[in-house]
Amino acid sequence: MLKILLPSILLLPSTWLISPKYLWTTTLSYSLLIASASLMWLAAPAETGWSFLNCLMASDPISTPLLVLTCWLLPLMILASQNHLMLEPTNRQRTFISLLISLQIFLILAFSATELIMFYIMFEATLIPTLIIITRWGNQMERLNAGTYFLFYTLAGSLPLLIALLLLQNSTGTLSFFTIPYLPLTCSDPWAHKIWWTACLLAFLVKMPLYGAHLWLPKAHVEAPIAGSMVLAAVLLKLGGYGMMRILIILDPISKELSYPFIILALWGVIMTGSICLRQTDLKALIAYSSVSHMGLVAAAILIQTPWAFTGALILMIAHGLTSSALFCLANTNYERTHSRTMLLARGLQTLLPLTAVWWFIATLANLALPPLPNLMGELMIITSLFKWSMWTLILTGLGTLITAGYSLYMFLTTQHGPIPNHLISINPPHSREHLLLTLHLLPLLLLILKPELLWGWSA
Amino acid sequence: MLSRLSRLGLALPRSVSVLSTRFVSQSKADSAISSTAVTELYEPVNQSGHGEVSPFAKNPDFHGFSTNPEEDVRNMKMGFFLGISVALVIGGTFIHYLPDHGMRKWARREAERLILLREKDGLPLIEENYYDVSKIILPSSNED
Repeated sequence: MLKILLPSILLLPSTWLISPKYLWTTTLSYSLLIASASLMWLAAPAETGWSFLNCLMASDPISTPLLVLTCWLLPLMILASQNHLMLEPTNRQRTFISLLISLQIFLILAFSATELIMFYIMFEATLIPTLIIITRWGNQMERLNAGTYFLFYTLAGSLPLLIALLLLQNSTGTLSFFTIPYLPLTCSDPWAHKIWWTACLLAFLVKMPLYGAHLWLPKAHVEAPIAGSMVLAAVLLKLGGYGMMRILIILDPISKELSYPFIILALWGVIMTGSICLRQTDLKALIAYSSVSHMGLVAAAILIQTPWAFTGALILMIAHGLTSSALFCLANTNYERTHSRTMLLARGLQTLLPLTAVWWFIATLANLALPPLPNLMGELMIITSLFKWSMWTLILTGLGTLITAGYSLYMFLTTQHGPIPNHLISINPPHSREHLLLTLHLLPLLLLILKPELLWGWSA
Repeated sequence: MLSRLSRLGLALPRSVSVLSTRFVSQSKADSAISSTAVTELYEPVNQSGHGEVSPFAKNPDFHGFSTNPEEDVRNMKMGFFLGISVALVIGGTFIHYLPDHGMRKWARREAERLILLREKDGLPLIEENYYDVSKIILPSSNED
C-alpha cells in the first residue's frame, strides 16, 4: 500500500522543486509510473478477504478497482489541464498540480481505509481541493455559486454521519472494518434506530447523488475546469457508492423496509434526469445529468444489497468513471476551440475534426451501454437483480435504458452530424495530447471487456 | 451547382452557402476569361496581430504540450511511451497473466471433478447440512 502512497505524497515536493521547463513532463511521467505500479493491487491473493494489509490501510475486491481508477486518473487530469494552464504563471501551475496530487492522496487513503472514522475524514478532506479547483479555476462567474452548493450539500449530508459514527464508536468501542460485521448492534428505541440509519446513509446518498439531493452536481461539474470535472465524475461520485457499500453491513436489519423510498427515488431519478438530458443545450450539463442518471442505477443496486447488484454496481461505477471522464474531455476539446459550451454552436464536427469524431463515437456508444462494453454488463446485472427484487422496477429501468440511448445519440448527432455552422471559421486540429488523453480513457475501457472479473468484487 | 465552387466546403447545402458568396463575376474587366468567380460577402477580419493565433502557425508540429518545440516533442514522447507502452501494454500483460482471479476457474474445475466423482460412486452431490449435525451441541430445552 505504501509503495503507491509514498510516491504520490512525494510528487508534492517534486512539483514545487522542478524547473518550469520540465514541470508537466515530469509530473505526467511520474504519475503514469505510479498508475502502472498501482496495477499490483489487482494481484491480490484469493483466499483472504483483505489484502496488502497494514494497521490502517488494506484493499479488498471492492476497493481495488476504485483504487486503480483513482491512480489512473491523475496522469489523465494532468494531461487534460496542460493546455488551459499554459498561460498562467508557474507558481499557479504548481499549485494546481499540487491540488490534483493531494486529491489523489486523500482518495487513496479513503478507498484503502480500514476504519470508518478515517474513511470519513478522507471523504471530507477530498472536498477542500475540489472546492479550490472549482472556485479558483472555473471559467464562469457561476463558479462561486457552484462551489457553495457543492460544499454545503455535501457537508449537510455528512455532519449527521459524523454524529452517527461517533455514537457507534461509543457503543461498540471500535469502527474497524475487520470487526464491524461481527458486532451485535442493537438499538433500543426504534425511532432513534431509524434516524441513525438515515444519518449513516445521507452523506453517501447526497454524494452519489440521489435524485432529490442532486442539485449540486450539474453546477459543480459544469463550472469546474476540465480536471475538476474529470475527478468529480470519475472518482468522487464513486466515494459515495463505496461508502454506502461499506456502511450497509452495519445497518441491517431495518434496511429491508427503510431503503424502499430511496430505491424508488433513485430509479425515478434515472428517468427524470435522462429526460432532462434530452432537453439540454449545454454540453457539459448534459454529461453531468447523464452522470446522475447512471449513478441512480448504482444507488438503487447498492441499496438492495444482493451479490449480483453489488457486482453490477461496481462494474458500472468503474465503466462510468472512464466513460464520463472521456466525455468531459471531449466537451473540453470543443470548449477550448469555441469557448462556449452550447452544443448548437459546435455542430457538424465530424467533417471538421474526423479523428475526434472517432473518440466521440466510442464514448457515446459506451455511454449508451453498448455490448460487450462493461457499461452494459454492469447495467444488465443491476437491472436483473432489481427485477428479482421487484418485477415492477423493470418498467423504470427499461425506460431509463431507452432514454439513455436517446440522449446519448442526441448528443452525438448534434455535435458530430449535420451542417457546419457559418461562424466556425477556423478550428484547430486535435492535438496529439488530446488523442493520448482519450486513448488512455477509452482503451482501458475496451480492454476491460477481455477481463471483467477484475471488477466483479466478491461474487463469481 | 455553383455552391460546389464555394470555399466553404463541398458538402454544404445551397441555402447555407448562398448567404456569404456572390455568384457574380469579379474578375477584371479586361480579362479574356470572364469566369464566374466567387467571392466572400464578408471579408476576413484583419485583426492585425491581436486576434487568437493558432499555435500551429508558429510550430506546424505542435503536439499540444508546450509552445517550445523541444519541450513539446519531449513531453509527447514521454507521455506516449509511459502511457501506452508501459501502462497499457506492460500493465495489460501483467493483468493478463495474473493467476486465477478470486479462484473462480479453480472453483469450477473442483465442482466438476467432485460431481464426476460423486456420480460415479452414486453418492448425493451435496449434503443438505453445511455443518456436521452430530457436532452441534444445543443447550437443553429445560427451564433454568
